[in-house]
Amino acid sequence: MDHYTVRKIIDRSMRIFAYLALIVALIPLFSIIGEVFLKGVSSVNINFFTQPSPTVGEAGGGVANAIQGTLITVGLASLIGVPLGLISGIFLSEYSEAKISSPIRFFNDVLSGFPSIVVGIFGYALIVRAIGFSVTAAAFALAIIMLPIVTRTTEEAMKLVPATVREAAIALGVPRWRTIVTVVLSGAKKGVATGILLAVARIAGESAPILVTMGYWRWWFAGLNQPVASLTLNIYIFAISPFENWQVLAWGSALVLVMLILGINIIVRAATREKYK
Amino acid sequence: MSYKFEIENLNAWFGSKHVLRDISMKIREKAVTAIIGPSGCGKTTLIRCINRMHEIGPNARVSGKVLFNGIDIYAADVDPVQIRRKMGMVFQKPNPFPMMSIYDNVAAGLKLNGMRNREKLDTVVERSLKMAILWDEVKDDLNKSGASLSGGQQQRLCIARALAVEPEVMLMDEPASALDPIATAKLEVLIRMLAKDYTVVIVTHNMQQAARAADFTAFLYLGELIEYGPTKALFENPENELTEKYITGQFG
Amino acid sequence: MSRLIDTGLEQLASMVFRMGEMAYKTVSLSLESYIEGINALAQVQDLSETLIVMADEAEDKAFELIARFQPVASDLRILKSYMKVIYDFERYGRYALDVSQVQRASGGLEQCERWINESIREMSEKVLNMVRTSIASLKSHNVELAKTLSETENQVDDMYFKYLDRLVEKAPATNKCTISSVLVARYLERIADHATYVGESIIYLATGEKVTLR
Repeated sequence: MDHYTVRKIIDRSMRIFAYLALIVALIPLFSIIGEVFLKGVSSVNINFFTQPSPTVGEAGGGVANAIQGTLITVGLASLIGVPLGLISGIFLSEYSEAKISSPIRFFNDVLSGFPSIVVGIFGYALIVRAIGFSVTAAAFALAIIMLPIVTRTTEEAMKLVPATVREAAIALGVPRWRTIVTVVLSGAKKGVATGILLAVARIAGESAPILVTMGYWRWWFAGLNQPVASLTLNIYIFAISPFENWQVLAWGSALVLVMLILGINIIVRAATREKYK
Repeated sequence: MSYKFEIENLNAWFGSKHVLRDISMKIREKAVTAIIGPSGCGKTTLIRCINRMHEIGPNARVSGKVLFNGIDIYAADVDPVQIRRKMGMVFQKPNPFPMMSIYDNVAAGLKLNGMRNREKLDTVVERSLKMAILWDEVKDDLNKSGASLSGGQQQRLCIARALAVEPEVMLMDEPASALDPIATAKLEVLIRMLAKDYTVVIVTHNMQQAARAADFTAFLYLGELIEYGPTKALFENPENELTEKYITGQFG
Repeated sequence: MSRLIDTGLEQLASMVFRMGEMAYKTVSLSLESYIEGINALAQVQDLSETLIVMADEAEDKAFELIARFQPVASDLRILKSYMKVIYDFERYGRYALDVSQVQRASGGLEQCERWINESIREMSEKVLNMVRTSIASLKSHNVELAKTLSETENQVDDMYFKYLDRLVEKAPATNKCTISSVLVARYLERIADHATYVGESIIYLATGEKVTLR
């Protein structure tokens, strides 16, 4: 065999190997989605979306209150975490020469590595001790988890905007703050949105901090100083319960969560696609 | 014949590096003045001192005066943002705003400073694109992305963008560096046309370009102004031997 | 640092110098033939024609350098000067040819009065020297040497007008000598003029100054 043939064989086998590796890597993802879909789709009906969690022994029931609760918790957390993260990220990117930037960046990285249960306990100590187990405490803890992610991805996205764009705006006589907010931010919006999405998806799936700041809740939203239901905790509680209808609801909750995250992904992608070709 | 700029004892530093040394020169209005010199001689720094862009850089410092219409732009009570609005700047690599359409690019300077009137913006965009000799090529689709144009067109787009805010001065930092010869030739014709209404200062490392397009030429070397005068005289019979050596290609 | 244009400039320079040598030869030959009464028209014609061809080639070379290298400053001045000098050298040859034609038509100085002989000899010597000087100062870009041409040109002018005066005064016997010597004197004076033009070009080349040496 000449060298060329050997090369061709090696090339082809490598390609096959790469495709195989890809398939193997995708197996967990698709099998999870598949399993959740299969097991959960049976529980999806009108009741599922309109009824709150069943009590012990009650038949049927749904996860309507858990959906409401998750949305409220995540929404509240984002209200706190996203603006803070945006501003920090913008500061770190645009004013990185300031002496305080290095320490901020360092602490941000440290914070992003904190175990979520620890953040939960912090939320417990600060908020729960003051006003009791509540959605406020949960949102607070989730915001802290969200913050470093948004900060870091915002900073990275802003940094990717080339310096020439900033220069062009400054040379036009646009003040620096306006340059940042209009030109640079809009150039980075895809990356920034992706970062926020990542953070939202992350906290939507958190369970440990919710456990120590809210706990399980069976009813609808009852005030900011009260807990709310959450899909993640529902999965936890219902899946290990002995009631079959609860287990079915657990799968359903898992399905909703997965669909929620998928949905957020798609929306953000669509909204930040290149409008001009 | 009056002077748009009178530069007096201008010095500039990057940290401890003394980049411009005691530059004094007067720049004529409604003429093209070229600044030439070998790499690192300070010509880009000089032009960026004119619209106070140099001081934005890290550890950048400036001393001396730059009189613009008789007023020192480095005086304590002068707002650099206002100064920059009166001077358009075009850079070496064309840099249209990537996520904006052609229309939005040209209108950027006005929109970002608050103008909303759609009719007015339309007029300004058309006028600026015509002045930049780009209107005919893009008028059919102003919503195309700015980045979809060719290099030469992008540069003219940047010129239109700068012209839209009605500056008095056009500063160009090696505007043709990234362009092919035909685009360069078109740009040079445009530069000469602009000089009828604007004061144009252009930095170029291409001596032939200075010889072709400029009324006055300044030769900088190692941060000092070596020679400055009408282009014809400088290229036919320079006074300084260093100038002679540089323009005949004996070093560079 | 050697540049692309340098080779071309050297080639052009040697072409111009060769032209100069040839022009000197031509002038010298034709003046001698007139003074001694020898018929050298054919030779001088040949030389003159060669000079025209050389001038064409040298001019072409100069244009090539301009088109290809866009020269400025001293390079440009050198080219401008050489192009003028090329024309002046060609003129040397042209006037030399004129002198030879006069010699062929009316004979030489050998049949003329002694005083005519002496005057013309003196003028020829001076003018031949000027041609020599113009070529030498071009070779070395010698401004001082070029400036001396001014003084010599004055002297030649002087000699020319004095000769004319004497002719009017003395009215020699035959018309032949009068007419031929006047023509030759006129050509000598023109050659001298062109020598000063060469000098002016040398000064411009070296200093950038435009002067008049006359």
